Amino acid sequence: MNQYHFQPSASVRSWLPLLAAAVLLFALVVPAAAAEPERLVVYSGRAERLIKPVLDSFQDKTGIQVDLLSSGTTELVNRLQAEGARTPADVFITNDAGSLEHARRLELLHPLKMREIDRAIPAQFRASDNSWVGLSGRFWIVVYNTAQVKPGDITSILDLADPRWKDKIAIPNSGSEYLQAGVSVIKATVGDDRTKQFLAGLKENAGTQVYGKSSQIVEAIAKGQAAVGVVNHYYIYRHLAAHPGAPIAALMPDQQEGGIGAIMNVAGVGVIRHTRHLDSAKLLVEFLVAQAGQKMFAELNKEYPLHPEVKADPALIERKTFRAALVPLARLAELREATMTLIEQAGLR
Amino acid sequence: MFQTDPMSHSDKQIPQAGHSPREVHRPTVLELRNVSCAYGTDQPAITGISFSAQEGEIVCLLGPSGCGKTTTLRAIAGFEPVTAGEIRLEGRLVSTPGQLVPTEQRRIGMVFQEYALFPHLRVRDNVAFGLRHLSGDERASQVRLMLEMVGLTGLAARYPHELSGGQQQRVALARALVQKPVVLLLDEPFSNLDPDMAGKMREDLHDLLRQTKTTAILVTHDHDEAFAMADQIAVLNNGRLEQLDTPESIYHTPSTPFVADFVGQADFIPGTIENGTVHTEIGTFPNQAGYRIGTRVVVMIRPDDIHIVPVEKSFAHIVARRFHGSENLYTIGLPSGQVVHGSEPSTTVYPVGTPVELQVNATHTVLFEQDRGTPP
Amino acid sequence: MNQAAAVRRSLPDSLSLVALTVAGLLCLPLAYVAHMALTADATIWSRLWNTRIPELLFNTTALALGVAAGTLVLGVSLAWLVSRRDFPGRRVWEWALVLPLAMPTYVLAYIYSHLLGAGGPVESAWQLLAGPDGRIPSPHSYGGATLVMTLDTFPFVYLLARAAFLNLNVSYEEVARACGVSRLGTLLRITLPLMRPAIVAGLSLVVLYVVSDFGAVSLLRYQTLTYAVYQQMTGRYDPTAASILSLLLVIAALIFLVAERWFRRRSRFFQTTGRYRTPARRQCGPLGATLATIYTTGVFALSFGVPACMLAMWSVAAVSSGALDDRFIGFVWNSVFLSGLAASVAVFIGLPLAYLANRRPSRLNLLCLQAAYAGYALPGPVAALAILAIVSHLAPIWYGTVAVLVIAYVVHFLPAGLQSMEPALQQVTPNLEEASRSLGLNTAATLRRVTLPLVRGGFIAAWVLMFLQSMKELPATLLLRPVGFDTLAVRVWLEASEEYYQLAAPSALLIVIMTIPAILLLLSKDWRAA
Repeated sequence: MNQYHFQPSASVRSWLPLLAAAVLLFALVVPAAAAEPERLVVYSGRAERLIKPVLDSFQDKTGIQVDLLSSGTTELVNRLQAEGARTPADVFITNDAGSLEHARRLELLHPLKMREIDRAIPAQFRASDNSWVGLSGRFWIVVYNTAQVKPGDITSILDLADPRWKDKIAIPNSGSEYLQAGVSVIKATVGDDRTKQFLAGLKENAGTQVYGKSSQIVEAIAKGQAAVGVVNHYYIYRHLAAHPGAPIAALMPDQQEGGIGAIMNVAGVGVIRHTRHLDSAKLLVEFLVAQAGQKMFAELNKEYPLHPEVKADPALIERKTFRAALVPLARLAELREATMTLIEQAGLR
Repeated sequence: MFQTDPMSHSDKQIPQAGHSPREVHRPTVLELRNVSCAYGTDQPAITGISFSAQEGEIVCLLGPSGCGKTTTLRAIAGFEPVTAGEIRLEGRLVSTPGQLVPTEQRRIGMVFQEYALFPHLRVRDNVAFGLRHLSGDERASQVRLMLEMVGLTGLAARYPHELSGGQQQRVALARALVQKPVVLLLDEPFSNLDPDMAGKMREDLHDLLRQTKTTAILVTHDHDEAFAMADQIAVLNNGRLEQLDTPESIYHTPSTPFVADFVGQADFIPGTIENGTVHTEIGTFPNQAGYRIGTRVVVMIRPDDIHIVPVEKSFAHIVARRFHGSENLYTIGLPSGQVVHGSEPSTTVYPVGTPVELQVNATHTVLFEQDRGTPP
Repeated sequence: MNQAAAVRRSLPDSLSLVALTVAGLLCLPLAYVAHMALTADATIWSRLWNTRIPELLFNTTALALGVAAGTLVLGVSLAWLVSRRDFPGRRVWEWALVLPLAMPTYVLAYIYSHLLGAGGPVESAWQLLAGPDGRIPSPHSYGGATLVMTLDTFPFVYLLARAAFLNLNVSYEEVARACGVSRLGTLLRITLPLMRPAIVAGLSLVVLYVVSDFGAVSLLRYQTLTYAVYQQMTGRYDPTAASILSLLLVIAALIFLVAERWFRRRSRFFQTTGRYRTPARRQCGPLGATLATIYTTGVFALSFGVPACMLAMWSVAAVSSGALDDRFIGFVWNSVFLSGLAASVAVFIGLPLAYLANRRPSRLNLLCLQAAYAGYALPGPVAALAILAIVSHLAPIWYGTVAVLVIAYVVHFLPAGLQSMEPALQQVTPNLEEASRSLGLNTAATLRRVTLPLVRGGFIAAWVLMFLQSMKELPATLLLRPVGFDTLAVRVWLEASEEYYQLAAPSALLIVIMTIPAILLLLSKDWRAA
C-alpha cells in the first residue's frame, strides 16, 4: 500500500535530473544575455599571436576590456552574416582586403567618418566609406634556394608555370586566402585564359609539393626539396630568424615595365554595423591607425605599415624600391568567386 | 579411499540386466588410469579416476555439481590437461602429464548441455561442419542420412534459433554422430529439456546409440537418467570415484553412504553388532559385512524394502504421507526420533498418526561403519 | 490506485512525446542542410559534379575501406592476443592498447606530419642508410591518412572484439574442435563469424569516425568529403556547395547505417544460455612471447607511446619558455565543463529514444532512434552552420551561448552514446521489468529501481564516450564557441595551424591526460578480464 502512496513522487523523481539539466542550461543562457558595460568583442581572422599584444596594449591604455575570438576569415564573415543584428561582435580584424570588402557589401560594417583615418592611411588602402581600413601590407614574393636558382631566372610570377620548373616548385593549397587573392590579381591583370594556363602549369610543376602552411614551403626550399616557391613575404624572415644562414632568398617578381606588379594584400579593421559600443570601437580603430599602433601592429609580423610616416622593419626590402599591382584591393571581393572556380577547375588541391 | 568393497558384491540376489554388452567381450575403447586434473596449481579437480569403456557401451558419470564429472569428460575430450595418470582412446595414449593430443585429433563427438549449435550456420551446415574432408556429394548424403536417423528430415535449411529445444538437441547429436566418433561425450544433454521431452529423448538416444554401436560417456546429476541410459555408472564425489558398477548394483549395493544417498531415497538406521547380527531399533539384520562384535554400524534401507502394516498399538507412527502417483511414500516416526520411509502401492492409504508395524525385506541390507559418517 | 493507473498509462505516452520531440530537434540541422542543397542552383550541382564529386566520393570510400581493413586486422589480432594468449606484460598491454582513443586525430596527424615529413626524423634516419637522396613516402597522401586514422581508431574494434572474445561461449569452439577442426580452423570458421556483430559494431564506429573526421585529413591534405565541406565552408561565402557535399555525405552515411542495422538484425543470434566459462589463455612459448611483445609494443608505440613522448617533450620546452599563462586554467575548465554538460544532456536525451525503440519497437519509435543517428554523419562544420541558423530563428536568446555548442555536440555525438546505451538496454529482459511490475511498482518506479540500475554501466560508458568525443571536437567548437570561450582543442588548433607546435603541445597533452581517466573508467565498467 505504501508503495502506491509513493508512486507519483517517484515518477517525478526519476525525471528530476532532466529538469535539473534544463534549469542548468537556462542558467547558462541568462548571464550571457545580460548586457555589460565597457567591453569590446573583436572577431579576428588574424593569427592570435599577431593581434593579441596590440589589443592588450589598447586595453592597458584605455581600460576597455577586449574579448577576442580568433578564427578563419571567411568563417567569421559567414558567422557575422548569420548573426546579423544579434552579433556580439564590435570589431572585425582580418588579413584579407577581399573579405573586408565582401563584409562591407553585405552591409556588415559601419562606415566611419574620422579624420584620424583619412590622415593616417592612404585612400587606396581603405574602403571608399571607410567601412574598413587597411593596417598593414603584405606581398607575394618568390622564395628560392640560392644553390639551385639564380635571381635572374625568374622575373614574373607567371614564369613558375614554365616546364623547366617541373617538380621544383612548392605552392600553398587552394584553401589559403592569400593564394586566392593572388590569383584574383593575376586574373584581373592578364585575363582568364592565361590565368588558367598559369594554374595548370603550377599544378603540373608542383606535383605533390602542395603545402598547407607557408612556413612549410619555406622549409622545403631551405632543404632543397623544392627550388622555388610562393609565399607572403614575412615567412622568409621568420625562417631566417630561426635558421640564420639558410640557403634561401626572396625576390620581388613582375617589376618590369608593364608587369603585373607585386601582388599585395592588406590586413585591416572594420567596425561592425550592429555594434552597441561604437565609441569604444572607434577608439580601437583610432589606436590602430595611429603611429604607435601602426608600428606595433606591423612589427609583430614584419609587415609593411600603411601609415606613410611609419618605417617598416629595416630587414625588409625597402618599400619604395618596388611597385605594387594596380588591381584595387576592393576588387578582390568581386573577383573571388570566379577565382575559386578557376582554381577548382584547374584541379589545385 | 572407498574403492569398491568386494564384500558388498558377494552372493547377493541382485537382479542383473538381461543382456549387458559387458557380458560379451569387446575391445576397450576408452581407458582412464589414475587420472588427476587440477585447476591452477594446488586445486585438484579430480583425483585418481580410473575406469574404462568397451565398444558400444554407455558409461554414465554421475554426481552432484562440482564433483568433477564434467572435468573428467573434458579431460577425455582433451580440453583439460591431466596432472597425473593417463587416458587412452582405442589403445592410443592421448593424455598424460606433459602430453596432450589436441581435441581435433581424438575423433570424439561432443554434445553440450546448451547444444552449442553454431548460430550462424543452417542445420545442414552444422551437421556437415566436421566433414570437410569429404566430397560435396558425399557430405550431403551423409548429412541427409544422419538427419533422417534423428528424425529431422525437412529441417535442414533452418537456423538453430528456429528450432525447438528437442530439435536443437537432435541436431547437436547428429552433428556429433555424423563424425562416427570413437567415443561420444554427452554433457548433461537433457537438462535443458522439459521432463516429458527429456524422457522421450532419452529413449531415442539410447536406441540411436545401440543402433550405431556408439560408445558413449554421459555426464549427469540425475540418477534416474543414469539408470535409464547406462551400462555402467561411475559415481563421483569431491573429485574422486566413489563406485563404478552396473546401475542395479549402484542402487542396491552402494559401496559408500554417499552413493547410497545420492542414487535414491535411503534411511540410515544406527545399530550395533551383537552375536553375529545387527541390532537396531527396527529389528535385527544379518551381519553380511562381517563386522566385529561391538562395532557401531548403520543399516541402509530403501523405502521399497519396508512394508508397513497398521496395528492397534505400536511404537512407530505414520508422520506423513506423500502421494507419488504410482506409490505412496510414508514417513514413519520411531520412538528415538529417527524416521524411516516406506513405500506402498498408491491405493494403500493410511491416515497420518496410524500406529504401524514395520516389515523389513532384509535380503540385501547394506551396512556401513558408523564413524564413516552418514549423509544428512 | 486510480491515480497509479493513470500514471502508468500516461507516462509512456509522454515518453513517446519526448522521444518524438528530441528526434525532431535532432533532425532539424539535417533538414536544413538538405533544404539548402536541394534548393541550390543546378549550375552549382553540375559544377561540383564536374570538378569535385567523383574524386571526393572515391577518396572518402577508399579511406574508409582502408582504415576499416587496417583496424580490422589490428583490432582483432590484438584482441585475440590479449584474450587468448598469455605472455609477460599482457595485463599492461591489455589496457594500454585502448589509450590511443585519448589521442585526437589532428594531434596524431600533426605529429606524423613532423615525423614522416620531408626532413623529419624518419627520413633523416633513412638517409643514413640509403644515402642523402633517400626519400620516404610522403605522409600527405592516402597512405599517410590511412595510417594515422588506423592507428587512432583501431581501439574501437579492439575493445569490442576483446569483449566478444572473452564473452563468447567456449562450447562453440570446443564443439568445433571435437568435430576434428584445428585451432586455426575453429578461429576462422566459428569464433570470428560468431564475433561478427561485435566486429561490425566496432568497424561501423570506425567508418563513421573516419568519414566525419576533419582534423587528420586536413593536416595530411587528403581530400575527403568532410574536408571538402570544410574547405567550401571556410573558403567560400556561399554555403550552398558545402551543403550539397554534406548532403552526399549524409546520404552515404545513411546507406551505411541502414546496411549495418540490417546486418545486425540479421545476425542477432539467439544464443542459448549456457554455463559461462572463461576461455583459457594459452601460455606463449619464448618465441611466441617475444613476437607478441614486439607486436603489441610496436602498435602501442606508434599509436600512443611515441606521439605522447613528443607532446611531453614539446610541452616541457613550451612551459620552460614561459608560454603558459593563467588563461590556460580557463581553457581547461571550459573544456571539461562543455564536454561534461554535453555528455549529460545527451544521456538524458538518448534514454527515451533508446528505451522506446528497444521496448516498444513501433515504426515511429524506431524512426525516432534512427533519426538520432543522423547527426553523426553531419560533418562538424555544417552541423555548426545549420544549428547557428536554426537557433537564430527559433531561440535567438541562446545565440552565442554555450547552449548552441552543447546542442551541436549532442547532435553530433549522441549516436556514439546510443551505440553503447542500446546494448545495455537490450541486456535487460522484459521479464525483469514485468517481475517488477508484478511486485507493484509502476512504470516509472520500475525504470528507476530496476532498469536504470541494470543499464547504469552502459550509460556511464555512453557518457564517457560522448565526453571524450566532445573534448576532442574541433570544427564545430571553432565555429560555435562563444566569445572568450576557447577550449583546449581550439587552442591546439590555433597554435598548430600557425606552426607553433611547441605551443600547441601543452593543450594537446592535457587533452590526452584528461581523457585517460575517463577511458580507464570506461574500461573498469566493462572490463571482465579473467
